[in-house]
Amino acid sequence: MAVSRKVFEDQVLGLLGCLQGVARRLTRNDADAEDLVAETVARAWRALDSLKSEAAFRAWIFRILNNTFISDMRRAGARPRLESIECEDEDAEAGDFSIFEQMHQPFLLWFSNPEQAFLDKLLREDLDRALAALPDCYRVVVILSDLEEFSYSEIAATLQIPIGTVRSRLARARSALQKVLWQQAQTYGFKRAGAPVRDCDAFEANAREAGKTARAAENEGGA
Amino acid sequence: MTKEQIACEEALRQIVEYVDHELGAHEHLLMEQHLRTCKSCFSRMEFERRLKEKTGTLCEDEVASSPLSERIKSLLKSF
Repeated sequence: MAVSRKVFEDQVLGLLGCLQGVARRLTRNDADAEDLVAETVARAWRALDSLKSEAAFRAWIFRILNNTFISDMRRAGARPRLESIECEDEDAEAGDFSIFEQMHQPFLLWFSNPEQAFLDKLLREDLDRALAALPDCYRVVVILSDLEEFSYSEIAATLQIPIGTVRSRLARARSALQKVLWQQAQTYGFKRAGAPVRDCDAFEANAREAGKTARAAENEGGA
Repeated sequence: MTKEQIACEEALRQIVEYVDHELGAHEHLLMEQHLRTCKSCFSRMEFERRLKEKTGTLCEDEVASSPLSERIKSLLKSF
């Protein structure tokens, strides 16, 4: 056994807030989250021999949490409250929304940066609401990638899907998250900038134009 | 340094993987070179990176609820 009972207990109690936080975001339900954490701890204790070292504890117990969640969901597949994590009808168009493209104003680069201002304003509650609004199949990959810091191959192994599917699903999930956050941004008063700028030439042209306009304004002011 | 270059379209397609540290060594190098010279893609990458970072800290500093703490403590005692 790589760790003693005392170390196991200390690690579990030290990670409990984070385990509950991730479980709550996975299940979107406080009671289910508590059950999930309790089941995870029980399974972890039974599987303690599979832990290689104390340093690997965090990733190891989160892997158990994920696997417990996934197997619970698959077992309870017909539960009306939970959508499928299988993403059978992924929207091919869904991976292309970007708040950056909505807000970015290259011609105002030196005076204002609305997309960064939005991130400064964005609250934990805003992000949590947006995450909770995602379908299970998207929410789970974002949680695994961003909250648990799992690699694409670890996510693929956990969800038993090809790594290419992880890649495309994450792109769509991030896009879907930004769509929800964009609604939030608009309530904060952020507005859509002009047409999105997708290439460097257009960016530089806009910047040159902005420079000319600024110089013209200066000259007029000085005249 | 390689003479090979990628266009913005290619860079934008790979931004999520770059931010996730999932690009291969060669693709990563090409992306870094592009980001050094393209302000627009660099700004987009910074936005994606900061948003991911913010999402990653959602559980930071969260404390377990009292009922769960009690439940887990009594579970640990039962092992």
